[in-house]
Amino acid sequence: MNQMNFIPQPPPPLPAVPVTFDGERGEFFRLIGRGALLELVTLGFYRFWLATDIRRHLWVNTAVDGDAAEYTGRGKELLIGFLFAMAILVPIYLAYFIVSVEAERFKGFASVPLVIGFYAFGQFAIYRARRYRLTRTVWRGVRFWMDGSGWAYAGRAMLWALLLVLTLGLAFPWREAALERYKMQHSHYGNLQGDFEASPWELFKQIWWLWLAIPVCLVLFPLLPFIYGYFKAVEWRWWLSGLRFGGVRLQSRLRPGALYGLYWKVIGWFVLLWAVTFAYFGGVVVVAAKFGGVSMAGPKAAQALANNIPLLIMLVLGYIAVILAINVVMRMYLLRDVWARVLASVELHGIEAVANISAKGDLASALGEGFADGLDVAGF
Amino acid sequence: MGDCDMDDTEQDQSPQATGGQAIYFDGLSNRRQTVTVVLSNQLVLRSADNFVSWPYPDIRRVDAPSGTLRVSCLSASPLARLEIRDSAFAAELVARCDRIDENRLTHGAVARIIGWSLAAAASIIVMVLFVVPFAADRLTPLVPPAMERHLGEAAVVQLQAVFGNKTCDGAGGQAAFAKLVEALRVPAGLDASVGAQVLDTPIPNAFALPGGRFFLLSGLLAKANDPDEIAGVLAHELGHLKHRDNLRQVIHNGGSSFLIGLLFGDITGAGAAIFASRTIVTASYSREAEHDADSFAIEVMHKLGRPTAPMGELMFRVTGKEGDKQLSILASHPLTEDRLERMRAEDQPPSGPPLLTAEEWRALKGICK
Ligand SMILES: [Zn+2]
Repeated sequence: MNQMNFIPQPPPPLPAVPVTFDGERGEFFRLIGRGALLELVTLGFYRFWLATDIRRHLWVNTAVDGDAAEYTGRGKELLIGFLFAMAILVPIYLAYFIVSVEAERFKGFASVPLVIGFYAFGQFAIYRARRYRLTRTVWRGVRFWMDGSGWAYAGRAMLWALLLVLTLGLAFPWREAALERYKMQHSHYGNLQGDFEASPWELFKQIWWLWLAIPVCLVLFPLLPFIYGYFKAVEWRWWLSGLRFGGVRLQSRLRPGALYGLYWKVIGWFVLLWAVTFAYFGGVVVVAAKFGGVSMAGPKAAQALANNIPLLIMLVLGYIAVILAINVVMRMYLLRDVWARVLASVELHGIEAVANISAKGDLASALGEGFADGLDVAGF
Repeated sequence: MGDCDMDDTEQDQSPQATGGQAIYFDGLSNRRQTVTVVLSNQLVLRSADNFVSWPYPDIRRVDAPSGTLRVSCLSASPLARLEIRDSAFAAELVARCDRIDENRLTHGAVARIIGWSLAAAASIIVMVLFVVPFAADRLTPLVPPAMERHLGEAAVVQLQAVFGNKTCDGAGGQAAFAKLVEALRVPAGLDASVGAQVLDTPIPNAFALPGGRFFLLSGLLAKANDPDEIAGVLAHELGHLKHRDNLRQVIHNGGSSFLIGLLFGDITGAGAAIFASRTIVTASYSREAEHDADSFAIEVMHKLGRPTAPMGELMFRVTGKEGDKQLSILASHPLTEDRLERMRAEDQPPSGPPLLTAEEWRALKGICK
């Protein structure tokens, strides 16, 4: 017996470690409610601080192996990134305008290359924005970081986009996998290198039929939230299960139907909000007609509406209230709840590989986030 | 190393020194260390193989899940973290660090963000209302006419897509039209590069394109009763050409749309507010240009000794009374009744010769037949 134990055995693999999210809904609600209000008061400029606060909340309540992550980015960095991006984009927009006027003269699709140029810029922005967020992510006193080139990524994204068009969208899983592989192979946690191992074929097998179902759903549009919810859930599961950091493997068990409820709740809220808003608008107009002497019939209605200042103020206040509510609803369900549900499905295998990682890597600037803001592109 | 003072000498065991357990990450590796923390005249933490002290004034709170105090130290490695889960002990540490919340976004800081944002928004509004119109006026003369013509050529391509290529060129009508345009062009101070055409479409309108071309639509011709009515409208379009209004509006609307787009950012649902502001701003600028083109037309008609009221009558015949139908703040033109009133006020009895003979007028009316 004792002789057997003499041979060194590899240590048994540790059990899978869950990822937990403990953020309180009430706390998040207060954060986004206040944030939406401040965003309106500042005519949108608070967005940099709100985005930061939301990320801080989501990160710090996300714990892996019992230790919570931390987001170290700040709103001011996003603002500076935005200003720099604007300083670069404004001359480009101007040049774009002049060149497109010159190009239109020769008719046809002369200005198409310029649109392609903006697409490339958008892809660059997506890469650099991911890099900014990753370098602001800290777990156990060590940060994530990213190298690689935003332009090299943009080049790959463009070639894949061309392939996507040529195959009428069927190349989608291969494009996703290739681009994610580039992003992940240039991502690191300390001295641990990332990778992406999900098979595009695996995704294709699960979503190929959507390619046929979407035309049907455009007619039977109440099915669209199911289709979209299914697609997002499958995509999340596939993406998460493909993530690697050294020997650490992620696995997600997200059910394909896990997000249906959230999308329907958002739709329900929208219907309710619009119903309330229209009832309110109608009520205000009726009250104004009754007590303000504004006649709502006849040809002078529009002019009378425009000249009734209290009525206009009431309408604008209603509009502001519905915008606030919509922004709170969207962030609550589509950001926080999706985050919580997706994370609850994740577990980590091979956590022993991160037992002793050395810190490495530098911070990246928020320029990419600024471009993403200026060009209206979103990426994860 | 990145750690703070590592001196062993300073270990005064003052009576109020307290201690407790904490979790420590040194910021150099992700090793999770359980350490004993002693709060003496500095924060001292000790593990089996580590000894670190953090001065209280350098300690800052960082994000932590509820129920945990997580701090960093300015003079230590930037990502070194100490986590205390015992709330009583955490409170004791917080009491000793008087600058622990210095990095926090305080109410004052939020107020400053609001203040600066409002200042930025105000400056954008000032830019849109005053600087952009000024810049459009000053930049327009600097744009080479060749480039303006390119803009016009691009517009002609779109125009042909909308109206087809149905230019009218009845021989007598064409001669009358050329005579009328020539008669107006000289007092307007425009050179001979001005090109004009009649398009065959029932829409009653006329418009100028960048680079010196303008079009009269036969629908308007059909509604006109005499040459002075058409002459006034053409003089108005010449005013647009003289002021290079198309180019000015492209510059103005591009600039103001871009600036307004900087506001509101990603607020869902704010698109309506952005759209409304853009519409109001561009409509107001357009009304101003129309007003100036009317002034120019009045001036040209005065120089020719012809009455100004007829063009107002023609426009009124086409649109009817507008005030009841639309919001004046969104209108791209001044209300027709106001324009008519102005042209009547400026009206003078004819002192110059008629611009077209009765025969030429008949030929012009029939240019598209
Ligand atoms: Zn006009």
